Amino acid sequence: MWIIYTLNGLYFAALLFLISLGLNIILGVMGVLNLAHGSLYAIGAFVAAWVIIAIGMKVPTFFIFVTLLSGMFMVGLVGLIMEKSLIRFMYKRTLEYQLLLTFGALMLLEDVIKMIWGGQAYYASAPFDLLGKADIFGHVYPAYFLFVMCIALIAGLLIWLFMAKTKVGIMLRAISLDREMATGLGLDINRLSTFAFVLGSALAGLAGALVVPTTPALLGFGHEPLILGFIVVVVGGLGSLKGALVGALLVGFTRSFGIAIFPEIELPLLFLIAGIILVVKPEGLFGR
Amino acid sequence: MGATALTAGSLGTTSKASGQAKPIPKDPIKIAAVSFLTGAAAAPFGIPGDNTYKMCADMINKEGGILGRRIDLQSKDEAGGVDAQVKLCRKLILEDKVDVVLGYISSASCLAVLPLSDELGGLIIAYDCGTHELMEGAKSPFDVPKFKLGFRSKAHLGIDNIALALYIKKYYPNIKKVAGINQDYAWGRDSWLIFETAMKKLMPQVQVVKTLWPPLGNTDFTAHISALMGSEPDIVHSSLWGGDAVTFSKQAVGMGFFKKIRMAYSRGEPYPQEGGKDYPENQIICCAGTHYFLFTPKDKASADLQKSFVAEYQKRYGKYPTYPCYHAYQAIYAYKHAVEKASKAAGGGWPTIEEISKALTGLSFPTPSGILTIRDDHNGYEDCLVGVTKLTPKYPFPILDKTEIFPATQVNPPVGTKTVDWINSWK
Repeated sequence: MWIIYTLNGLYFAALLFLISLGLNIILGVMGVLNLAHGSLYAIGAFVAAWVIIAIGMKVPTFFIFVTLLSGMFMVGLVGLIMEKSLIRFMYKRTLEYQLLLTFGALMLLEDVIKMIWGGQAYYASAPFDLLGKADIFGHVYPAYFLFVMCIALIAGLLIWLFMAKTKVGIMLRAISLDREMATGLGLDINRLSTFAFVLGSALAGLAGALVVPTTPALLGFGHEPLILGFIVVVVGGLGSLKGALVGALLVGFTRSFGIAIFPEIELPLLFLIAGIILVVKPEGLFGR
Repeated sequence: MGATALTAGSLGTTSKASGQAKPIPKDPIKIAAVSFLTGAAAAPFGIPGDNTYKMCADMINKEGGILGRRIDLQSKDEAGGVDAQVKLCRKLILEDKVDVVLGYISSASCLAVLPLSDELGGLIIAYDCGTHELMEGAKSPFDVPKFKLGFRSKAHLGIDNIALALYIKKYYPNIKKVAGINQDYAWGRDSWLIFETAMKKLMPQVQVVKTLWPPLGNTDFTAHISALMGSEPDIVHSSLWGGDAVTFSKQAVGMGFFKKIRMAYSRGEPYPQEGGKDYPENQIICCAGTHYFLFTPKDKASADLQKSFVAEYQKRYGKYPTYPCYHAYQAIYAYKHAVEKASKAAGGGWPTIEEISKALTGLSFPTPSGILTIRDDHNGYEDCLVGVTKLTPKYPFPILDKTEIFPATQVNPPVGTKTVDWINSWK
């Protein structure tokens, strides 16, 4: 069973990695702690579920990608609107204002979800059923979970390449390292911040779209991932891609093995580890 | 309760002294029906329950109402937490002056709201919440009723979990290991407590190998599923509901769980219909009473009601009624029968709230799932049906096979005795 426990940990880590990566980019580049990040994840799930249901349960395999991209693009768009209309006025404000505003955005987005999709649960398991089961050393395992891990890996690699090799990526890192200096050097902070927010939001949307074939989308869907996403950011360190990866793996494996070995204290164990890391290394494992 | 009832009550006192029948008000009866209309519990419980309230109110109004008064049904949302429900209930009783509040799916809502019945002088009938603590005292024996004006028109979760244990003993006497997966709050913890206590008495040789407590609204059960598979139980007890039950089942099918392990769901009745042909076979399902669309009650009156109820519900909503539908039926008809009984006892007219409460205590009436009795502890007293899922050509989802009905005497504790104490006293 250990191989399956490991795969479960990797699957959970893959989703958390995507969520915390978006959270980390927004926090690192813009200095904004986005409490509405979980709601963006939920919108990604609802949009993907809506597309899957609209198309019907018998979809061609390639269509899985269409549904996932729909969640990602739509949430990117929501992120764009949110940044242009709300977030950009908060850059120079203190953290309290940001928290109030993003919490307000969370409530607002929850109501938008309620207005559009109502209080009903949306079941959209076609991609999960379509990919069937894989045989892992004699154990049955859903192929869809392996697919999610691959997508997270590809997304992580693309973001790493983007941040390390492209001009825009380097500029984003420069802002993240020293915002004042970057402004002094003439970088267009506003446009780059908008881009970072859209990218971070789209990653949350992708995570939501990836999870919805395995569980119904319903109100309050984004609360738990938001909390776990914050734990990953705290553990891994602010603004670090490597930190998001290691943090997600740590949380994923603690959960998977914790439930198997110490089911009663799985969640406290997670907070205990985060607490110890905060005490020993307040900036997180790979934070600056 | 509301102004109508109070006025009728005061008129009643006067008229009783003069020996005349109390007048029946001409305005409609205000009934508030509180269920989850949004959130995780809406689709499996709240919406079917609310649909049934609407259907029953229409049926009653079509037949001339209650003592000639039409029902004005007001559907309210149970979402928002316990504090919001306490506020809503106060508003319904004090400001809206409803005649009766029928409601509550969550045990937390019931525990918070039922004490308001006596505090505010309003009649409240809990219709779906399960906790056994609601009507029980701190220790056995306890005085009944706990609330003068608070009722529950169904049995508590004890019957589901005791019936599951009895069923397992009868059909799977050779099992060696059981496990549990229940949500980490009062509902899950109470359900497991009763099941585990009953199993220890009925099958002491069976070992509990794993107990898991996922949070409510969990979206990833993979770790729980593998942890259960790793501990190799024969049967896993579960009170998971709503999206959690569907998610668990879907992910468990994908991980080959059901090839090795059998689930025993204390409230699994709605999910085969929801899951369709993909829902696994041979899983043990309890119906939270005898609330099953294929069940035929022994008495003719109930059997006739079941036929018309299933047909009408299917005609209106395109589905077979699930157990919350039966619970909603029981609540609204308990009120109707109690008003009629109280009026008859008082020699006609509209009864006072105290008279309705008195009539509800000990009330017995036919329902689509058999005769329902409300005992002196103001709690429903019901039989319980358990079966295993089986696909047949006739239905597009597994139906229940090898069904067993455990009589009320076998699954309900006596009045004034706590459920756990009663189980522990079994010889």
